[in-house]
Amino acid sequence: MTATRIAKYTAFSRIAVAHARRERGELYGRVAFFAVILGVFSSLWRAVAEAGMPVAADPKALVWYLAATEWILLSAPPIHIEIQEAIRRGDVVYRLGRPVSYVIAEFAAGLGLLAVRAPLLGLTAFLCAFAFTGWTPPLGALVIVVPFGLVAAALMTGLYLWIGLLAFWLQDVAPVFWVWQKLMFVLGGLMLPLELYPRFIQRVATFTPFPVLLAGPASFVLPNGIVTPGVLARNLVIWCFVTTFAVCWIFRRATSALTINGG
Amino acid sequence: MQPAAAPVNAVELNHLSKSFRVRRARSEGVAARARDLFRPRTETVLAVDRLSFSIAPGERVAFIGPNGAGKSTTLKILAGILQPDAGEVRVFGLVPSRQRRQLAFQIGTVFGQRSQLWYQLPPRDTFELLGRVYEIDARAHRRRMGALASVFELGTLIDTPVRHLSLGERMRCEIVASLLHSPRMLFLDEPTIGLDVSAKAVIRELLWTESERAGVTLLLTSHDTGDMERVCTRVIVIHGGRLLWDGAIPALRRSYLKAKRVTLWSETEHLELTLPGVRVLSSSSYRTELEIALEITPLGQVVDAALRQAAIRDMAIEDAPLDDVIRALYADADRRSEMS
Repeated sequence: MTATRIAKYTAFSRIAVAHARRERGELYGRVAFFAVILGVFSSLWRAVAEAGMPVAADPKALVWYLAATEWILLSAPPIHIEIQEAIRRGDVVYRLGRPVSYVIAEFAAGLGLLAVRAPLLGLTAFLCAFAFTGWTPPLGALVIVVPFGLVAAALMTGLYLWIGLLAFWLQDVAPVFWVWQKLMFVLGGLMLPLELYPRFIQRVATFTPFPVLLAGPASFVLPNGIVTPGVLARNLVIWCFVTTFAVCWIFRRATSALTINGG
Repeated sequence: MQPAAAPVNAVELNHLSKSFRVRRARSEGVAARARDLFRPRTETVLAVDRLSFSIAPGERVAFIGPNGAGKSTTLKILAGILQPDAGEVRVFGLVPSRQRRQLAFQIGTVFGQRSQLWYQLPPRDTFELLGRVYEIDARAHRRRMGALASVFELGTLIDTPVRHLSLGERMRCEIVASLLHSPRMLFLDEPTIGLDVSAKAVIRELLWTESERAGVTLLLTSHDTGDMERVCTRVIVIHGGRLLWDGAIPALRRSYLKAKRVTLWSETEHLELTLPGVRVLSSSSYRTELEIALEITPLGQVVDAALRQAAIRDMAIEDAPLDDVIRALYADADRRSEMS
């Protein structure tokens, strides 16, 4: 990619940053929601541990685990909504006619939004998890979680782009996203580490991108996390390739559908 | 000595055709609906049918037709967004469907009901983004932005969030956004839709001025005949995807203008004009308004008849509005397609 092309796509990231700064309300809403969720679950895991149930063997670590998964999930901007609206309003005709790749431009804008969300939500995760548990995982674990979490959030942004492109056919991608969220909840290990799930769910999850998005990066804060950085890095690279291919393929199909059906 | 290269047309369309597959209406009954879910029944709609025309650089052309005539589809094909099924399309010598990115530097697009401005941000931010997208040198971009802001009288609008702009103000910014990279051609799809009378006048004036000043070729679709009359010199009319008329606007009037409106102020209170092809539209004291079918009775004959009855104090002769001309053109096309 030449410097000119990099400058083009960086410009999309920059304008998205400016846009996110203007729309702070949504981000602050996420921060408040995040704090509430962590408060509720820290109480829940404490109660479960006091009741002697085996699930929450280490309630403090579980709260930090949840803080990490939610940080990744909430940081990934829901760009599928913007893409869907642009397709519905017809504004997409402007974007398709520019001398840039539509897909890369949308992804770059998504990364811009991610760059605004991730630091604030990361700070919220750290402060709230510490406030509710009075404990922090080893510094080395936190240092690993951050880069892996950011890459996972970027990958999630790419997958949201894929969902958004379905609007060329569906017009409304909310049902797809709804299913996606449920799968993320179960197969991604949003609330609990995947090791605590039934074995067949763990097996199914390995064939999906969900574990590398949430459970993988977050499990570094667990004292006995089973994923190693090397394995997670390899899996993230594989899923990045798969996502890139899937997005390019569906975009080609979408533009040909636009040709066939008139958009 | 080598022969001089033929000048490249801004637009060259040869037998362009484009059809869409659309879903047919849902069937009745559960079984039929279930079948539709897995094997939807579609039908092919011909949006553009062997359309041919060319536009020279610097021309200002109105591209009109009733709803569903294929105007927007043609514009999207010319911009490289849609691919044609058949025929040849060239814009400044480039094939839009194959050379879309190269072409993007040569053309600008304005879609009246769409927006390319970031809604929460001032237009300046979108302009900066477009400067990068179109690879404009930063200093040249600032100069160009300043010049266009001055021509389009953006003033403080350039730093006002788009959500606070009126439709007319936003449209001025949309046009500036489309002109920033100095395109040689501008495709405008209903740029004045929804605007009030004064905002329309401003947009028309600005488009005309910019085209005159910079030699930008314009291809404008609109249902508003005012846009054509005030901005364009030539009109292309399509109907059912086919070319119906291509020529200068005065020629269109002459060809399809079957009637003139004449108002006579006479010395007598009422005029009695019972000539063939003459219809009295209104008759009040000393004032008579007539519609004269020129093919049946020449104008002079009507005036002579009036003068024989009374002295004429004043007289006004008007063409029928261009709207009526266009309507007659569409009706004629409908009649012909029904007959065929």
